[in-house]
Amino acid sequence: MTESRVRYHLSGKELFLAILRWILIIFFAVYTLFPLIWLIISSLKTNFEFLAGSPFALPAAPQWQNYVNALSVAGLGRMLLNSVFVGLLATAFNVIVASMSAYCISRFRFRGREKLYTLFTAGILVPLNALMVPYFVIINKLGLYNTYGGMILLYCAIGIPMSTFLIRGLMDSIPIELEEAAYIDGCGFFGRFYHIILPLSRTGIVTAATFEFLTCWNEFVFANLIVSSEKLRTIQVGIRYFTNQFSTDYVSMYAAIVISIVPSILGYVAFQEQIISGMTSGAVKG
Amino acid sequence: MKLTRSDRSPLIAFMAPALAIMLVFFVIPVIYVIVVSFLKWNGISAAKFANVQNFVKLFRDKAFVRSVTNNIIWALVAGFIQVPLAMVMAIILSRKPKGWKFFRTVYFFPQVISGIALATLWRAIYSADTGLLNGLLRAIGLGEHAKDWLGTTQTAFPAVLIYWVFYVGYYMVIMMADISTIDSAYYEAATLDGASDFQQAIYITIPLIKKTSLLTCVTLASVLGLRQFEQVYMLTNGGPANTTSTMVLYMYKKMQDTNYGMASATAAILIVVGVVFIVCIRALFTGGERTGTVRKGARK
Repeated sequence: MTESRVRYHLSGKELFLAILRWILIIFFAVYTLFPLIWLIISSLKTNFEFLAGSPFALPAAPQWQNYVNALSVAGLGRMLLNSVFVGLLATAFNVIVASMSAYCISRFRFRGREKLYTLFTAGILVPLNALMVPYFVIINKLGLYNTYGGMILLYCAIGIPMSTFLIRGLMDSIPIELEEAAYIDGCGFFGRFYHIILPLSRTGIVTAATFEFLTCWNEFVFANLIVSSEKLRTIQVGIRYFTNQFSTDYVSMYAAIVISIVPSILGYVAFQEQIISGMTSGAVKG
Repeated sequence: MKLTRSDRSPLIAFMAPALAIMLVFFVIPVIYVIVVSFLKWNGISAAKFANVQNFVKLFRDKAFVRSVTNNIIWALVAGFIQVPLAMVMAIILSRKPKGWKFFRTVYFFPQVISGIALATLWRAIYSADTGLLNGLLRAIGLGEHAKDWLGTTQTAFPAVLIYWVFYVGYYMVIMMADISTIDSAYYEAATLDGASDFQQAIYITIPLIKKTSLLTCVTLASVLGLRQFEQVYMLTNGGPANTTSTMVLYMYKKMQDTNYGMASATAAILIVVGVVFIVCIRALFTGGERTGTVRKGARK
């Protein structure tokens, strides 16, 4: 009895630290989750319930109608499709271009290779927001203002440094002997890339693609800058207009925000490892 | 692999798209911003050389000075309050307490939600009549402190700034990845010597991540603090009375007024301030010595 008490006895300081630790863990979790839960509950209330009732009360009956309103009346459905369309195409072009450049930088020794790589990594650090003016001018000069093409090109472009960095990291780990063997067997430049390197760097490409798609999905600044027509709006730009237009229809506004958040959260939970490894390795280099 | 003659032209073809993109969307824009910052230009009529007039005008504009100040405060708060909080949580979760994976997932949520959605959510939370914050205050009997958080000059900037500070998931995950590469022998030896968890954190973990992930996170957080746009654009649009403006928002507004010269000058200053921050933070953490940002080895 005494023995076990001695064994499991925590000193005052240790006990304090253990309690403090759990207070912190729970505080940060509640801080993140509570507003989200409040948002979801509010999005299922009627406007009357939301305005008159306590912020913590549950709705009498869940108002799925709010979601229908957000999707149909405000045209959020179309914006979701726009976001998916632009995001998928930009991501596809992005990883194709980035895999090609990553292959060259990773596998071949040529003059200026190091400088080139420095250029790509510096691209990760450039504050893109500061380049709004030139981006606006360039997209206009290319005749791509207010087009899907403009968004796709810009999104594909701004993700190139990051994707090249992520894919190159994986390609570096593929043993050079594999490629040399193929070379001796008469396999050309493109054949080695397509049949050997590409399949082996699949995980790096998936990480880059996940990261790029998430960036596109959440991007607001440039979508707002280079698109004016309502038909081309992505979900993030839509949310902004929505909140101004429907500022008194609180519950539908909250439903709209939930609609924009849910795919991100689901995608994150599904691709958690890719997103975390993409974000950490990119940051580590920064 | 050596470059053989037959590889040369396909290599050029393979590099070309990425190189073109880097030129058009990174190299040229940065040069462009610097050049245009010395011009008086509205985007349509012919540009005139303006010498340093744009910069002089900027620093005479109270709204700009306020924006720069706000950005610097933002960068410092992010680097020296948010990141240390993230470090504490990284150390705690690295000991793998019950449910650590769940908490890691949850803390990371804000990072995958768009800035616009988060800002909209917080605008709803801070709202004077219907907001969650005022609702909470009223519920616990502090109703007299309820106010229009984003509409009051004294509270607007702190409100815009503070909510972000407790979203530590991103930096926490970066530091956790780093901590997981620390050799467990250090901790075993320390435990044998009777060092508590707390002492181990202070004397082993923190010194070992200081020049790697901690430096990275402080740099990153500060730089992101300097780039703030969506949060303020969505929450307050810089108001009330420009108290919450940031450099990028200021630049955006100048651009809307088609004052491209001043917008570019703002961008140029932003880039310079960013470089100064990166250099200073590096010097602060490494005492000037050169060092890589990652410990070599078992990083996944």
